[in-house]
Amino acid sequence: MMKRIVVGMGLAALAAAQPQPGAEGRQQLTMHFRDPSMPRKLVVEGGTGSLTIRGYQGQDAIIEYTGREISGANGRGRGRRNEPPAGMHRIGESRGLDITEEDNTVRVNSQGIFGGTARDMVIQVPAQTSVNVKTMFGGSMTIENISGDIEAENFNGQVTITNASGSVVAHSMNGKILVSLDRVAPDKSMSFSTFNGDIDVTLPADTKARFKMRTDFGDIFTDFDVKMEANAAPVVEESKDKNGKTRRRVRVDGTQSGTINGGGPEMQFTTFNGRILIHKK
Amino acid sequence: MNCEQAKTQMLGGTIPGENQGEEFAAHLASCETCRTESSRIGALWQSLDLLPVEEPSGKVRERFYEMLGAYRQGQASVTMPVKQAWPRMIWQVAAAAALLAVGLGIGYGVREDRSRPELVQLREEVASMRQLVALSLMQQQSASDRLRGVSWSYQVEPSDEEVMNQLVTTVNHDPNVNVRLAAVDALRPFTGSPATHLMARNAVIQALPKQTTPIVQVALIDFLAELKERNAAPELRRMVSDPDIDSGVRKRAEWALERMQ
Repeated sequence: MMKRIVVGMGLAALAAAQPQPGAEGRQQLTMHFRDPSMPRKLVVEGGTGSLTIRGYQGQDAIIEYTGREISGANGRGRGRRNEPPAGMHRIGESRGLDITEEDNTVRVNSQGIFGGTARDMVIQVPAQTSVNVKTMFGGSMTIENISGDIEAENFNGQVTITNASGSVVAHSMNGKILVSLDRVAPDKSMSFSTFNGDIDVTLPADTKARFKMRTDFGDIFTDFDVKMEANAAPVVEESKDKNGKTRRRVRVDGTQSGTINGGGPEMQFTTFNGRILIHKK
Repeated sequence: MNCEQAKTQMLGGTIPGENQGEEFAAHLASCETCRTESSRIGALWQSLDLLPVEEPSGKVRERFYEMLGAYRQGQASVTMPVKQAWPRMIWQVAAAAALLAVGLGIGYGVREDRSRPELVQLREEVASMRQLVALSLMQQQSASDRLRGVSWSYQVEPSDEEVMNQLVTTVNHDPNVNVRLAAVDALRPFTGSPATHLMARNAVIQALPKQTTPIVQVALIDFLAELKERNAAPELRRMVSDPDIDSGVRKRAEWALERMQ
């Protein structure tokens, strides 16, 4: 059995989960996790605005969103038709939002990639929920107070994860990765990567881990006492330039590894154009 | 008909009420035990019929052809001209002879020791256990578990084709960027093993055009540059002139081409 809420093309929703207009333009939907005793999972895909996922003391997934106009080229000229007429406010919109629950997994699928509205979304779930978020066209992404496994992937925006106490696997193409863990599960592997941003991770002081770190055009900083393992030997490259002269370059290449507090599960930090900062809490 | 014969007929899958021989029916009518037995087995056959037929997932075909492709490429590079093969063969024969000598020596040395075969067996068991852990973790739902599977793969023998193939599948198909990235790194030991290095190299070459995530593209390009893998040059040249590819990645491809010369 699957439960489904579809919002879009006017407004269609199950009676069990009527959107409740809150403040101006704000919609709220509630979806139950079928079995509170079983592991819960939240999957969010798509989205055009900012996204916040927050752990709370309840049992349901509460989804709140507000639409806001994107100005400029992205707006596709929907123009005045999209402005609320005098004295009215928006309670529904034509961009599809699809929310389903199946086997204790709540899935929020937000379409409308090139639409005129960005949808800022706040989703609250019980703290002990695994979270899997992926957006291509969204803005910033914030995940707070989650003690399950977190998987987050963003394209242009920053990924911020605070007060996490499970595991984190996060990637951003162009944004920064900012993570703070209150507690680290003893047997979880983690990984943080970004192509064009910094990686800034704060870990509890007694974390046992093995770091694998790689940055191509940045430096690595930490206040942990890291026991470094032997690096790969520097590579000497020789090449001929246009005039046939030999050019030589020495590169200290590859990944650097080291352990803290005697070592433990692997934590990988990979950035191409950014710095890596690992703080002790 | 006696009870023995009736039971045989029941196990053949006959469901009471259809196609039963007259003798069987007569026996059932007279024998209470066989009647209960028959209805029980009939119900079992019926519920077995209700089980859904398992269909292989669509990925099976894809993975099979991928493996076949890698194998073919490996075969193609193995069949080199005889002239070139000679010095290598001499080395191989010499190495085999040396190994045989060492093996005989060790065998002679440990002849008296009865605990050794168990040690060998134990070692094999540990190896297959590591393989099992790596393989099963790499197929888990959670990315963190799959990452653990990838780190476990460093503990198997670099000649382990099964683990290598799973890593290749992960590089090409895993939904999580970070897991793909870790799997690229984990292929390194396999390019150093005589048993798997050709397959591993070919897998890395074939993985490059399938990848669209810049950070994984760069990891693959760096890997190919490190291997000085010239067979990847056409794809690298294509990438350099493809405007859809990230400019940082294009620069990296250019750098790799320069480094291979």
